[in-house]
Amino acid sequence: MIPGSRIIGLAARLVPARRRRDWRREWEAEAAYAWKCRSRNGQPTRVDALRLRARVSTCVIDALWERKETMKMTGLFDDMRFAVRSLRRYPAFTVIAVLTLALGIGANSAVFTLVDGVLISPLPFDDSERLVSLQHLGREGRDELPVSDGLYILYREQVESVEGIALYRGTAVNLVAGTESRRISAQYVTPTFFDVLGVPPRTGRAFLEEEGRPGAEPVAILSDGLWEEQYGRNPDVVGRTLDVDGVSRRIAGVMPEGFGHPDREARIWLPYAVDPAQAPLAAFGAEGIARLADGASIEALHTELSGLTSRLPERFPESGAAAFLAEVNLRPVVLPLKQAVVGDVSGTLWILLGTVGFVLLIACANVANLLLVRAESRQRELALRVAVGAGRLQVLRSLMAESVVLAAVGGMLGAGIAALAVRMSLSALPAGLPRVAEVGVDSRVLAFTAVIALGCAAFFGFFPLLRYGAGDLAGQLREGGGGGAASHGPRRNGLRNGLVVAQMALALVLLVGSGLMLRSFQALRSVDPGFDPDGVLVARLSVPGAEIEGWEETVAFYRQLRERILAQPGVAAAGFTQGAPLTGGMSYFSIEVEDHPRGPDELPVFARNVNVGPGYLEAMGIRLVEGRTFQEGDGAEGLRAAVVSRTFAEMWWPDATPLGRRMRIGYEGEDWYEIVGVVEDVHHLSLEEAPEETIYWPATVGPAESPFPTRSRDIAIKTAGDPLELVPVLRREVRALNPRIPVSNPRAMTTVVSDATSRTSFTAALLGVASGIALLLGLVGIYGVVSYVVSQRTREIGVRMALGATAPSVRSMVVRQGLLLAGVGVAIGLVAAGALSRIMSSILYGVSATDPVTYGSVGVVLVMVALVASWVPARRAAAVDPSRALRME
Amino acid sequence: MGRLFSLTYPTAAVLLAIQAQHRYGFDIMDATGLPDGTVYPILRRLERRGVLVGAWEEESTARAEQRPQRRYYRLTPVGEEALAEVMERFPALHRLFETGTV
Repeated sequence: MIPGSRIIGLAARLVPARRRRDWRREWEAEAAYAWKCRSRNGQPTRVDALRLRARVSTCVIDALWERKETMKMTGLFDDMRFAVRSLRRYPAFTVIAVLTLALGIGANSAVFTLVDGVLISPLPFDDSERLVSLQHLGREGRDELPVSDGLYILYREQVESVEGIALYRGTAVNLVAGTESRRISAQYVTPTFFDVLGVPPRTGRAFLEEEGRPGAEPVAILSDGLWEEQYGRNPDVVGRTLDVDGVSRRIAGVMPEGFGHPDREARIWLPYAVDPAQAPLAAFGAEGIARLADGASIEALHTELSGLTSRLPERFPESGAAAFLAEVNLRPVVLPLKQAVVGDVSGTLWILLGTVGFVLLIACANVANLLLVRAESRQRELALRVAVGAGRLQVLRSLMAESVVLAAVGGMLGAGIAALAVRMSLSALPAGLPRVAEVGVDSRVLAFTAVIALGCAAFFGFFPLLRYGAGDLAGQLREGGGGGAASHGPRRNGLRNGLVVAQMALALVLLVGSGLMLRSFQALRSVDPGFDPDGVLVARLSVPGAEIEGWEETVAFYRQLRERILAQPGVAAAGFTQGAPLTGGMSYFSIEVEDHPRGPDELPVFARNVNVGPGYLEAMGIRLVEGRTFQEGDGAEGLRAAVVSRTFAEMWWPDATPLGRRMRIGYEGEDWYEIVGVVEDVHHLSLEEAPEETIYWPATVGPAESPFPTRSRDIAIKTAGDPLELVPVLRREVRALNPRIPVSNPRAMTTVVSDATSRTSFTAALLGVASGIALLLGLVGIYGVVSYVVSQRTREIGVRMALGATAPSVRSMVVRQGLLLAGVGVAIGLVAAGALSRIMSSILYGVSATDPVTYGSVGVVLVMVALVASWVPARRAAAVDPSRALRME
Repeated sequence: MGRLFSLTYPTAAVLLAIQAQHRYGFDIMDATGLPDGTVYPILRRLERRGVLVGAWEEESTARAEQRPQRRYYRLTPVGEEALAEVMERFPALHRLFETGTV
């Protein structure tokens, strides 16, 4: 044995694998030569052997040097530079991969921007996690009640686990400047409001405690926007006065930009006056918020409030209201403020994020497939690199580096797409989406984008590694470089088939999701709202007491306006309502029915109430079932008549006519109203919920000597043409009657209805786009795999055809392969969709989450797509000329 | 053009040894008299910089002597240029190797 050969063997392990074989060969050859030379003149001595061993052992230094050099060479920077260079050599591949990724990542970032702005990011207040919303439930959850003035006073005095409590109530006011008058959003807030939220005014001061009492000097606080519009950001605005609803108010301060709760609609804040001496306990007129005291928990606050509400009758033995609240079993509800603001939209948003997440997975699978195909066609190049001394690790690293570069470029483009999409889609967001003003691309969104881009790189970069990660790369590549013998390995096809199956399964899940949303949307659209929105204009009018004081004048104003509108050409009907259907806001009152007196143990009965004037039911197209609708003269000032909905009538008088029966608002001393008509049920609150029993009272109710007309009303005008053309006419007629009363929020009723379906249609549209992309990518995936397999099997197909296989049989052989992939994908996808669609059930309407029609048709669609995708390569396969195919290799 | 390697005495010695037809690792060690551990790293570095190129000797030669093929090194055109600089900087050094050749 040659001295030192064992040292060479050991040292060789230090040498990077790609160099090891040559390195060892060189050293062994040198040692062998030296030993041979020494052996020429007879047997070498022990000293000779020792000398050689000493010299050979320096190979360790050489080996260490090799190792160090290789590590230096495989620096990340070099990898990246190499990756960019190599990607630029395949521009088509690179562009497709980058665009696919940019779309996938961009969609995710855009939806994440929405999710982050609405759901994740904290409310824009200091210590916002200490903010809670206060509400109440009665009758075991059947009544949702906010906060009453009386409870506010009680809680402020008694509750220790809060730092402060505030009430607010949204409204709209007429802002009069000179002869111009306009209607702006406003909020009545208790003086504590700004303090509880922890935002002081930027200029001036917040409301003083005494300004929240009846009879205090009228003051107002401006929003930043109104300050700019009205006063051009003049810093000396504090102390000036402005005319709000006919009342001159002194400006106390200006709030900073972006302030608002629960949204940023309010332009001006007015003090919410609470009279501690006689604050009603059971009039739930305002929303409540509170800031928890240091260290206090929501549970502690809830316990404290429950203790107070359960002992209301003990505390107020004289109060009928306290007894009433005990009767309905009033229970406080304390929610984190963010949860209260965001409400039920979170389900929809998370589903959307999941959806685009699926699209990204599919996009990644597609890119992984592209990379695999490219790796196949690059075998010569890779083999060359191994031959010139690149180690396996280095080749794999450079493949990974390409994935990272692709994902990085895709991510950057994606962030751009997201920013653009967010800016463009803010107006398309569903009506009533909370916190929209807070949505925007920020550093968190960019961080999210970077993380998913890296995740993508890891995901699709992993497959080429799997392909080349094991075994003797050099040998594998040398073989592959020859002519694709290695590409028939079941392992590689398995990977690519697996990716396609996964794509099909994911696409199916998305298609099922969008199919279900589409069916929900259809179901919603086919709901009969109970009224006819076509050709109906609605607009808001408000007559402040300061403008027209007396009830007769108010009634006269509305009557004259109606007459003027009816005189216009094309107007078929017109009338007023306290609130048009689906525009939000309806009141509940407890009522009494004369021939069904309430027993001592029975809970009071609540019903939805709307005050409407003559002509309204006709204008809105609410169909009369029985009796008559309202006429001029119905109301507190004339005949006390009421109209009820069909459900209401059937609930109380299932077997008899309700006409002529009497009912009243459920307080002692109220007047009885006679039912004169029954109308069809109307979806007042939403299309999803079943219509509730509803009572239509006249527009003017109350005691005969001093009745109170509804001061804020929606006018509904039915016309034969485009309802929006009536807007200038309406404004003109209102101005002619009183120029200081503005017309606000004019809308076609058809718009109101489509807004009511907007969340469903928005979700359906987004899911539709997502599943469209998924379907396209799935199609490309199947096409790619099948046509690649066909190109690999050209020779085999040639042989088959030479042996007598017919074109149709070859075609069906190829198509079968595509269909098999699709079939497996569809089967897996159906199971996954069945499991996942349950999450969606909360946003579905009128369709089950496991609707067989949707599942079946989606499965058929996917199989058809697979058929189309494999048909093209199948035709190519059948057109193979046997003689040419056989000559090919 | 900047130089691709630092022209130290050991590097110069290795280049001159190769020019003087000492082409194998152990031969170069003998010819230069450099410590055994230094020669190979110099060869590797020079090869990587394109100054030298290594190749396997003819199989027949090795087979005739019943030993494995050795790897020999020769100068590339870059190496020839580098050598000119060696001559300039170490004018006396090349004589050391001329005596070594036959």
